[in-house]
Amino acid sequence: MTVRLTTEGTIELEGSCSSDEAEALLQHVLATPNATVDWRGCEAAHTAVVQVLMAAGPKILGPPVGVRLEKWVQPMLAANMPK
Amino acid sequence: MNEFLTQFLIESREFVEQATEGLLVLEQSPHDAERLDSVFRAFHTLKGGAGIVEFAAMERAVHAAEEILSSARSGKHALTPTLVGDCLACLDQVIRWLDVIEQTGELPSSPAESRADDTWLAEMLDSNPDVRARVTTALQFIPAPDCFYQGEDPLARVTSLPELLALEVEPVVAWPSLNSLDPYQCNLVLTALTAASMSEVTEHMQGHSGTCEIRAIGTGQIAPQDWVLPSQAREILSAQRDLLAHATPANFAGFIASAGLTAENVLRSCAHPEAAAIVAQATQKSLAESSSDSLRISIAQLLSSKPAALTENARPSVKPEAAAQTLRIEAARVDALVRLTGELTVAKNAAGHVAKLAQEEGNALAGVLKERHSVLSRLIAELQESVLAMRVLPLRSVLQRFPRVVREMSANLGKPLKLEIEGDDTEADKAIVEMLFEPLLHIVRNAIDHGIESPADRAARGKPSTARIQIRAARQGDQVLLEISDDGGGIDLERVREVAKARGIATEEDLRSMSETDIIDLVFAAGFSTAAKVTELSGRGVGMDAVRTAVERIGGRVSVESRAGHGTNVRFSLPFSVMMTDVMTVEAGGQMFGVPLDAIVETVSVPKTAIKGIGAAQAIVLRNRTIPVFDLASVLALREATPNDTAATIVITTMAGHLGGLRVDCIGERLEVILKPLDGLLTGIPGITGTTLLGDGRVLLVLDIGELLQ
Repeated sequence: MTVRLTTEGTIELEGSCSSDEAEALLQHVLATPNATVDWRGCEAAHTAVVQVLMAAGPKILGPPVGVRLEKWVQPMLAANMPK
Repeated sequence: MNEFLTQFLIESREFVEQATEGLLVLEQSPHDAERLDSVFRAFHTLKGGAGIVEFAAMERAVHAAEEILSSARSGKHALTPTLVGDCLACLDQVIRWLDVIEQTGELPSSPAESRADDTWLAEMLDSNPDVRARVTTALQFIPAPDCFYQGEDPLARVTSLPELLALEVEPVVAWPSLNSLDPYQCNLVLTALTAASMSEVTEHMQGHSGTCEIRAIGTGQIAPQDWVLPSQAREILSAQRDLLAHATPANFAGFIASAGLTAENVLRSCAHPEAAAIVAQATQKSLAESSSDSLRISIAQLLSSKPAALTENARPSVKPEAAAQTLRIEAARVDALVRLTGELTVAKNAAGHVAKLAQEEGNALAGVLKERHSVLSRLIAELQESVLAMRVLPLRSVLQRFPRVVREMSANLGKPLKLEIEGDDTEADKAIVEMLFEPLLHIVRNAIDHGIESPADRAARGKPSTARIQIRAARQGDQVLLEISDDGGGIDLERVREVAKARGIATEEDLRSMSETDIIDLVFAAGFSTAAKVTELSGRGVGMDAVRTAVERIGGRVSVESRAGHGTNVRFSLPFSVMMTDVMTVEAGGQMFGVPLDAIVETVSVPKTAIKGIGAAQAIVLRNRTIPVFDLASVLALREATPNDTAATIVITTMAGHLGGLRVDCIGERLEVILKPLDGLLTGIPGITGTTLLGDGRVLLVLDIGELLQ
């Protein structure tokens, strides 16, 4: 499990998050709308996972470990952040 | 037009029809999942077709509509009438494009379209001024919505582009609320700028699903996507090229043929039919010249050069060959068959005449000849029947256009309407089905515009606010009945009387002696139109008289019934099939007549002096044959003396092997008409075989040459 809800109410993304985990992430975001997503341990995330982040626009705790995530995806998410 | 485009046109039109029909149903019942699926598939196939012929604009437009349907399908949002309208608008655009392709034989290229194309590029460059100087290639990638299921990771693909300089990712359609988000539908547009070369980027993006535009930047010029063959294809092609170098005389033909075929298949499977065609030609040339050079050079060129307009985007969907249940045959070929069958009938009749002659002369073979003739007769009658059956179409092909028409009129006039169509699987001859649209449209427009009251009036009369229009079709013997009824106000008899009087169609006296039915029938009179105001919908200068003329021209009848306050019922009764006859029109004694074309040998113009009197009769000598000449006007007792012109126009006709000349004043045009036998008072008039209506409503009498020349 690389997407999980911690006891502190934070959603953690860890390692390489595959497309299968988009659904789990979506469920977590739906269940805890104000949760922060912590992806500091994330090496790679499938487009489907990133898409959920884009649509949900949660507060994100970074930077992620993955170089490409840090360089391209994080700024992109920040640019797409609602509000 | 190339074969691909022709096929694309035919198929696209079918899918547009299917989609339109489905969308209209969906508007009424948005939860019809089966219908939604079928509409979605139609859009999807349209997009696929656009991809194959490399028509990017249409691909994008249809893709957008497909997206709407796709989200409706996944339950993300409901298919509202506005969305249905958007999809219909998209189909309208597609129809316009198809029309352009049909007319020009080429894909349309509007300047507006290509400008729109470049907006993303301009915006991307503007918002990243810091990297502008280093950008060599720009890319806009819209992955297919279902790409995740195909194991694709578009974001990873784009972020791993060599020398990526800038990336923007946006949703294609605004994000829905989270609880209706489908995380496995890709809803992204990825736009990127890189310093890598266009071919590198193209290579990198190979095998993606969805649409991808790659543009070279630099001199500010935007080049089309490069010619790239997948690496496996390149390997196979170069293997063929190497093999060809080793071809020996012993196995030469086999070598060339197999190498050529392999190369062709490879190219075809990478969606380069044009390139495959080039290779096929080269193969033929190589075989003809007994030299592998042509093919080898052609393959080598394909491996190195970059033919324009060949791109990697389109992948043909490989469809299994379904067992052909139906054949698509060009209508012109069936028409040719119908014509030939007609000519066969004429030939058969001539043979019958020969049989009769033989009998009269007491020839021993007469009996056998007659017997054979009757067999031939029966077979030809059967042939005719089956040929005519080939031209049969369901009325659906014309009726299915009406839901759309009614929907639009309903919206424009603010009259809620419900259209019911019954019996649209009733069949009739193609010629009949095809001519029905205009008259039907006119009747439906009239019904909506004049017949159906405003919602307020309807409420006042205690009628449901949604008006009903019914189109019912049914086969009755060899007739096809078509009824268009509405539940509107009916025809206002008083108003008909007034208008008829005012426009001089009938006098006060006439009107008094007329029954209600007769008065209603006046709406078909030429020059009658009760439209108080000319609206956009009806009253474009074509009245009900045009409807009647059109229907009667194909041998049908129109009648109308009306009950004040309850509605109007227009009834078409049409023949099931029509046999067209070719006639040539001629003028004699100031009147126009038709001469069946199969009776005409030639027309000649001779000086008047060439007509010699032989006893009481006249004749001319044409190519050493004496041919009797009759003055058509005198024969028909239209005038006594022949005119004193210096030249005479003579139509040489033949009937059962005898030639005869008909002197006419002038020759008109050649027409294809539907011949109606004489009925009523005219029955039995000698010399006339039937009548037909001319385009302007005049009656054309068609001559029976056999009887005339006797």
